[in-house]
Amino acid sequence: MTFRTAGAGRAAGVARTPECGWTIALRIPATIESLAPVSDFVLGLGKQAPLPESSLYRLRLAADELATNIVMHGYRGEPGEITVDGGIDPGDVWVRFQDDAPAFDPRQGMRTPAVDVPLAERPIGGLGVFLALTAVDIFEYQLVAGRNVSVLVVRRPAAE
Amino acid sequence: MAFDVQLRIDDKVVTIELSGELDASTAGEFHQAIGEAAGAGAVELVIRAEQLGHLSSAGLRSLVFARQKMGDGVRIAVIGASEPVARTIRLAGFDHSIDLVDA
Repeated sequence: MTFRTAGAGRAAGVARTPECGWTIALRIPATIESLAPVSDFVLGLGKQAPLPESSLYRLRLAADELATNIVMHGYRGEPGEITVDGGIDPGDVWVRFQDDAPAFDPRQGMRTPAVDVPLAERPIGGLGVFLALTAVDIFEYQLVAGRNVSVLVVRRPAAE
Repeated sequence: MAFDVQLRIDDKVVTIELSGELDASTAGEFHQAIGEAAGAGAVELVIRAEQLGHLSSAGLRSLVFARQKMGDGVRIAVIGASEPVARTIRLAGFDHSIDLVDA
């Protein structure tokens, strides 16, 4: 996993045209019912690429966890909206989340599991963010004009 | 694939069969089944995961709940999880307390 330097990645280029022509977008209410359309969106993108099954599983898991995090901890049950877009570039497939919840860098909420603590006593906060950030190859976050912008990237295998 | 939970109580062994996608929007059903399993006084909880296509942290939380409710003497086993599902369980370090079988 790599944390790209702020400004170098797609989080900074919200208004910029991505690197290739193939992008799709989705606007959804920040509710738990929106997890299904987010998954469908990512699975559709991965099939279009196409991504190997294991890479697509990782991207979908990360998207699921990030969307859940925005709904539960970002907006905290208040009404809100999430914009999801994504694209297929020669080297990777990316999914970007934008929301207007209070500023929050998911990396700050990451907790590595305390594997030595008995499961029943385990503090489980931060587990979703941990799964999301370990699932992807690159994670970017930036606060852009008050909006949280997070980008999940998985690499595509080199063409044969 | 839609999420589904089947609960079977056979003497003191409770089997929960999961299929589909286990995420924050579906974990409530799994949570409820675990509550029933704990209430049945099971000595073993078998979770069949052969048809489970996706497991998020919400599902992992339900496994923590199972460990809390079932007591230390109760064996909890997850059977037949796919490679990425098993990987998630191991990554979270849950395989110390829950047996991963045929995964």
